[in-house]
Amino acid sequence: MQNKKTIFICCGTGCQANGSMKIYQAMLKAISGLNLDVEVIPDIKKTGCHGLCQKGPLVHIAPKEITYIHVKTADVPEIIERSIIKDEVIDRLLYFDKQQNAKVQSKSDWTFEKKQYRIALRHCGGIANDSIDDYIDKGGYQGLEKVLKTMTPEEVIDVIKKSGLRGRGGGGFPTGLKWTFAAKAQGDVKYVICNGDEGDPGAFMDRSIMEGDPHTVLEGMAICGYAIGANQGFLYIRDEYGLAVENMRKAIADAHSKGLLGKNICDSGFAFDAEVVRGGGAFVCGEETSLIHSIEGSTGEPTPKPPFPANQGLWGKPTIINNVETWANVPVIINKGADWFAAIGSEKSKGTKVFALVGKINNTGLVEVPMGIKLREIIYDIGGGVGKNRKFKAVQTGGPSGGCIPESKLDLPIDYDSLIAEGSMMGSGGMIVIDDRTCMVEFARYYLKFLSEESCGKCVPCREGIKSMLKILTDICEGRGQAGDIELLEEIGAMVKANSLCGLGKTAPNPVLSNIANFRDEFEAHINDKRCPAGVCKNLTKLYIDSKVCIGCGLCVKSCPVGAISGEKKQPHVLDEEKCIKCSSCRERCAVDAVRVR
Amino acid sequence: MQIIINGKTYAANPGEKILDVARRNRVEIPTLCHSEALPGLASCRLCMVEVHEGGRTQEVAACTYPVTDGMEVVTDSEMITAKRKILLALYNLIAPDSERIKGLMARYHVEPFDRLQADAENKCILCGLCVKACEELGTNAISTLFRGTKKKIGTAFEQPAAECIGCGSCASVCPTQAIEMTEADGKRTIWDKTFELLRCQDCGEYYTTPEALAHVRQKLGDTVGNIEELELCDYCKSRRAAEKLKNGLRLNELFDATVK
Repeated sequence: MQNKKTIFICCGTGCQANGSMKIYQAMLKAISGLNLDVEVIPDIKKTGCHGLCQKGPLVHIAPKEITYIHVKTADVPEIIERSIIKDEVIDRLLYFDKQQNAKVQSKSDWTFEKKQYRIALRHCGGIANDSIDDYIDKGGYQGLEKVLKTMTPEEVIDVIKKSGLRGRGGGGFPTGLKWTFAAKAQGDVKYVICNGDEGDPGAFMDRSIMEGDPHTVLEGMAICGYAIGANQGFLYIRDEYGLAVENMRKAIADAHSKGLLGKNICDSGFAFDAEVVRGGGAFVCGEETSLIHSIEGSTGEPTPKPPFPANQGLWGKPTIINNVETWANVPVIINKGADWFAAIGSEKSKGTKVFALVGKINNTGLVEVPMGIKLREIIYDIGGGVGKNRKFKAVQTGGPSGGCIPESKLDLPIDYDSLIAEGSMMGSGGMIVIDDRTCMVEFARYYLKFLSEESCGKCVPCREGIKSMLKILTDICEGRGQAGDIELLEEIGAMVKANSLCGLGKTAPNPVLSNIANFRDEFEAHINDKRCPAGVCKNLTKLYIDSKVCIGCGLCVKSCPVGAISGEKKQPHVLDEEKCIKCSSCRERCAVDAVRVR
Repeated sequence: MQIIINGKTYAANPGEKILDVARRNRVEIPTLCHSEALPGLASCRLCMVEVHEGGRTQEVAACTYPVTDGMEVVTDSEMITAKRKILLALYNLIAPDSERIKGLMARYHVEPFDRLQADAENKCILCGLCVKACEELGTNAISTLFRGTKKKIGTAFEQPAAECIGCGSCASVCPTQAIEMTEADGKRTIWDKTFELLRCQDCGEYYTTPEALAHVRQKLGDTVGNIEELELCDYCKSRRAAEKLKNGLRLNELFDATVK
């Protein structure tokens, strides 16, 4: 009897950086040299992101459902010998689930996966990322075929409207409503754009979808094309996303060869084509009017709305721009229906949201959860809590446009509106966990620095407002803060939010304003006491060793680059404040937390 | 079509922007990046007003926001004025010597920020009017360079531009006199390029460059491009037109006479 095994090797950018392509090659080579075809037919697939990036490279074997973590090329022969030819499980390569306090064989049983619900990521990790056949096997392009053969454009828009799908790029505008505007707009030529210019630091949801399941994006766009009467799509992909560009281009070519893009798709007479445009390398190009100007070949700068792109977009034609994740939801909604989708999520935010869970968290990775889930569940159940047993301080959502949410609000159900009410925003889905050794003033300063470099400079509130706020924050971090600075930051921030031209400026003060709202005492400590409670701002930090706690192990002495720590073995050590450069190496190293901030 | 501004009703035409209606009716809305000859840029953000429309309230730039029938506009609410003051104080940091900005500060009772250092050397507020004027003329000699806080206005690679015709439109629309244009001994220097100047056929004063005149003639085409008024300075052009009107010439006759 033939024994068919499928090996899924994560070849997303993260796992590739850890050598997964070498594992893939080694696996191919080893299998081809074995001549196994009588007993075992192994099918080796390089896939997109499986989710738990922290443990990569990940290798999953079906049908026995074995997931191996941190796989190395050297492990390949053993995996083939024991798990492919035989059906054994290699214990040492399994994931140890701290919450279950046990090794777990299959990723579907990991606590990390328990509260997740995959819609946009449904195929990521489960199909070869360069195979249209795999996508079709999983039901791919059935949505497109369904709309072309059985639905009118109005019916398609109606389904999307009823589903309650809202834009996943951050703003949360109802997708069906946007499509209605473009469908009603006059014009023979209309366009569909995929916004793949993911720019938030720490965010990689869109990249992972484009790398791991490019066809779902194309299918979603083609469905929209049919609904609004557009025959051309553009995928604006961030220039740094080489693999996403490569996979997307191959997907377009493959879809063409199967007649799923191009003229007369599925014999319906409907034509739709798509083209990849590489991004211009500016954060502001994620803003839709800037993105449009960038595709047109102009400087990537925003222009006022109205006119909205749905009426007057690319080259002045009605244009629908949706984010990658939004597109990935569309084919599923068409297949499974509006009611199915609307049953998932919270009252006003339907479906799921993909988050890139990063920062001081145990399980770094890509997670997809139903809207309305509590932040606490994402951080503690899925994320496994804060790393190094430190204390949770805040979670930052929405990247440079978002804000920090403190511990007291961890039971907040996440959706578009609840996050905005807390002075943050959904954003495209970056979620950065912050522990008690992060200075909230410095954190806000970091984002403003980023934005001061990324503001296009067209309008004065954004350009000069951010510059002035950054100057004040830098002063505060370096010990030159003055009474009244907090109020001034709030005043300028409110003006920048209201008066800026585009979304970048309108949200730029969020990290500062939300940190002031939630961590005002830290700002006051910097300004009034010239003290950084987290011990991050060097001019305001004084370290000392607590003699009651120190066990005299000497680890700090070895870690100190300037020889500022001395002491006898097994006796409390002493830190020379004059010599100390406040690099905090000793503090990081100390096993008993004896290095303290004064 | 009618709109309400600060409680009073005004007639408006479809396609107009809020600022057009306000200016026509002498309702004050401050601007720095606006020129009546050019489309709204929405970059200075001083013209922000409150709009109540379809049950929704938002703050929008009056220079680019189109009017809709029955919309209510508030130009001087406490919310709008407070932010306008902060914005003007920021302008004062970028261009502390600008008379126009100083005037607006006085008008709106704005105290300068003493917490932040003004850039004494700087004059340009990067409103983009000069670039827009050059673009609309069809010359495209200047543009914005770089991005964000490093942004500036200049010619390509900051070299004298072949496209520049020395017309000085950029300098004339600039709200803060940030573009240096000097004239001496029948020569004009702007953007590191020196031009000969032509004399007005009536008064003999220098008034434009041959390149600018040629550009205008080319734009106007064969018939209008040859009228002798083009060889007059702005003052003499107006004077001659006024004389013709005084002599009882109707406007259409004036037009026929000039295009003949």
